[in-house]
Amino acid sequence: MKPGKEEFLEILKNYQGILHKVNLIYFRNKTDREDNFQEIVYQLWKSFPALKNRNSIGSWIYAVSINTSLMRLRNQSRIEFREELPDSIDTIDIMEELSINEQFKLLLQAICRLNEIDKSIMLLYLEEKSYADIGEILGLSSSNVGVRINRVKELLKQNFKNI
Amino acid sequence: METNELQNLWKKADQEINLKSAAELNQILATKIRKTMNKFLVILGTDVIVCVGLIVFLVITAFNRQGDILYQVNNLILGLITLTALLVSILSWKKIHDNKYNLSVKDWLEQRIKLLSGWLLGKYSKLYIAIIPILLVLINLSIHVYYEYKPFITVMKDGESIYGLIVGFAVGLVVSLYAMTKIRKYQINNLEYLKTLYSSLL
Repeated sequence: MKPGKEEFLEILKNYQGILHKVNLIYFRNKTDREDNFQEIVYQLWKSFPALKNRNSIGSWIYAVSINTSLMRLRNQSRIEFREELPDSIDTIDIMEELSINEQFKLLLQAICRLNEIDKSIMLLYLEEKSYADIGEILGLSSSNVGVRINRVKELLKQNFKNI
Repeated sequence: METNELQNLWKKADQEINLKSAAELNQILATKIRKTMNKFLVILGTDVIVCVGLIVFLVITAFNRQGDILYQVNNLILGLITLTALLVSILSWKKIHDNKYNLSVKDWLEQRIKLLSGWLLGKYSKLYIAIIPILLVLINLSIHVYYEYKPFITVMKDGESIYGLIVGFAVGLVVSLYAMTKIRKYQINNLEYLKTLYSSLL
């Protein structure tokens, strides 16, 4: 195995949780999540040689994962805007895969009702990323991130009430 | 539910996620690379087979009609357009797949929107409206004149041949423009989707 590949796989092994979490918020179907996981791994591998700042590996993985997922959603024509979502969201697939409790299911349902960009903001927030990191991943200023997080939190609260 | 509670709840998913080993990740990467390469080879192979097939046909027919200058000019123009189309399709494919995902979401959307806008709304975006009819006329003429076993100019003076050419051209034009419209509509929807995402980051 090439030395670069070994290093890449080591990084991927340590940070793969990010890929799973991004998949969790964007895809409800297990097959879609597996396909997207594969696509993200490939896109990370392609952009790995261009990774200069090894201090921001997490941000790089988040950005590639979110961008890849957004593209895949479009290609599958499965964009679901908040207002178009049915009342009951199918999380059976996820529940089978993860032995999640009722509260986690509710949280996931509430996140699923957000639009695509708000989902990524909420994900990064729940992952306890700093405003600066969120800004770097999404391409926003830290102050803008703060405003958006408050707005998305409000939306999430509303979604909880509506479930 | 309070914010901290949400974050703690979210962390629970970490324990549930089935993490993959380095060997499994390597296998996933190898499978995806193989799939992508195969897809590229199928697209490239189809492109090359169609274009080379057409060029071989043009060379053979032009060789068999050495005295017919008009026919040879027709085939030469068609050959040049075919070669250009082959080159452009390979470059376009490469450009799509060189798409950099390692940018911030906003920059990535901006890059993608710019690329798609160039194709769909740029200076040469409507060139296909002129190219498709020209190509159809040239292909129809090349095939029809050759199998009529008559010189180019004689076929052009034959009313029945002209009628056949017009019908062939019209059918080809409708089918090609319909396909192009479908593709463009899909890409325009793509562009709209990306613009919607981008605007929600402004």
